[in-house]
Amino acid sequence: MKITNEVRISDNGFVFNSKTGDSFNVNPTGLELTKLIAQGHDFDSIKNIFLEKYDLDDLTFEKDFYEFCALIKHHQITSQEDPLDFK
Amino acid sequence: MSKTKTKITIAVTGLNNTDNPGPGVPVIRSLKESTEFDVRIIGLVYETLEPGIYMEGLCDKIFQIPYPSAGSDELIDRIEQIHNQDKIDVLIPNFDSELFSFMKNEERLLRSGIHTFLPTMKQFQEREKDKLIEYGEKYGIKVPASINLGSLGQISEIKEKLKYPVMVKGQFYDAYVANNLEQVKQIFHKISDKWGLPVIIQEFVKGTEVNVIALGDGLGNTIAAVPMRKQYITDKGKAWGGITLSDEKMLEITRSLIRQTKWKGGMELELIKTVSGEYYLIEINPRIPAWVYLAVGAGQNIPEALVKLALGQEVAPMGEYKAGKMFVRYSYDILVDLEKFETIAMNGEI
Repeated sequence: MKITNEVRISDNGFVFNSKTGDSFNVNPTGLELTKLIAQGHDFDSIKNIFLEKYDLDDLTFEKDFYEFCALIKHHQITSQEDPLDFK
Repeated sequence: MSKTKTKITIAVTGLNNTDNPGPGVPVIRSLKESTEFDVRIIGLVYETLEPGIYMEGLCDKIFQIPYPSAGSDELIDRIEQIHNQDKIDVLIPNFDSELFSFMKNEERLLRSGIHTFLPTMKQFQEREKDKLIEYGEKYGIKVPASINLGSLGQISEIKEKLKYPVMVKGQFYDAYVANNLEQVKQIFHKISDKWGLPVIIQEFVKGTEVNVIALGDGLGNTIAAVPMRKQYITDKGKAWGGITLSDEKMLEITRSLIRQTKWKGGMELELIKTVSGEYYLIEINPRIPAWVYLAVGAGQNIPEALVKLALGQEVAPMGEYKAGKMFVRYSYDILVDLEKFETIAMNGEI
C-alpha cells in the first residue's frame, strides 16, 4: 500500500488529490497515520509506534487502522496492488 | 531589456457574463495578460445588456452585431462594416451557434484582412451531438448510447433502447436529466422550441464530470491541454468553481483525438469518469470554454496561442501546467448610467 503520486499532504491535515480534484481534512491521528504510510512504514511498524505512543490495545489499533486504510483507498489516496497488502 | 509587444486589434464575441456565461470576458482577460501582444479589444455583442459592455477597462470599443439567425451574409456584412471603421486583425467567435457563419466565411474574412482560427466544417459537423456515436466509433473513444428524436413520435424508442434516468439535450445548448417519459416530453418541447430538432436523448452515465480545454494547431499537434473538474455546478450545469487536475489519461484522450482529427482551434472535451476509471465522451464544444482563464492561471495562455496561430505564427506545444489551481466565480453588480445603455441601444456601438 502506498500513497499515490498525485496526493499532497499538508502539515495542517489538508489532503489534496490532484488526479481527482478531491480534498479532505484529516484529524491529527489521521494525519499521523497518513504520514507514516507515506514514509513507507509497514503495518507492524505503524502499530508499534502507535502502541508505544498511545494508551491503545492491539485489537483496537488493527480495527481502526484497517477502517482508515479502506477509507483512504476508497478516495484513491492510496493504491494497493494486492488488496491484503498493508506493507 | 523588456520585449516590445506587438500592437494588435482583436474582436471577441460572447460578452454575456451571466449565470450561463459566454467565454468572451475570460478570453479578453487572457489576452490582456499576453506577454507578446499589446491588445486593443473590440467587443461584439448581440444584446444590449451583455455585462461585458459595461465592465470598465474590458473593451476599447463595442459594436452590436445581428444574430446569425438573421442570415450569415448580414452578420459578415456587419463585421466588414465594423472592420472598415475600426480595423480588426483577429476575430475570436465564442458561441457555437455563430461558428457556422464564421467558418463558412473564413476566406472572405481573410481577404478583408480578418484572421480567424476555427475548426473546419468537417471537424465541426462530425462532432455534433447527434453524431456522437459515429464519432466515438471512428476515433476509438467511449460515448454514451443515444437516440436522436426528430419528433415526439419516436419517443417509444427510449423504452426499447435506454434506461431511466436519461439526459435530454439540445443540439447547441441545454441539457436536462429526465427520470420518466413525462419529463422527457416536457423537456423535449422546451428544448425543441429553443434550439430546434433533433433533441438528443443520451444514456445517463454515472460518474464525475471532468473537462479538458485544448487547442489544436490543425496539423494534429496539441498546443495546449488542461484538465479540470467542476467543483460547484449551477442549476444550468455550469461550473461556478473548478480545479485543474493531474490526469494523464485525460490528456492522452485529448492528444489522441486532436492527432486523429487534426483539430484546428480551441475546444472543450466534456467527459464522465466512472467509478471504475473509464472515460465517456459526452460532448465536444468546438470553441474555447468560459473557464479558459483557469488554464491561463495554471500556465497555458490558450487565447494568446490561438491568436498567434491565427496570424500564421509557429507555436510550440505547452506541456506544463499547475495541477490544483482553482477558480471560483462570483456575481457583482455594475452600476450603469442610462446614457451608456442608450448609446449602445440607439447607435449599435459605444
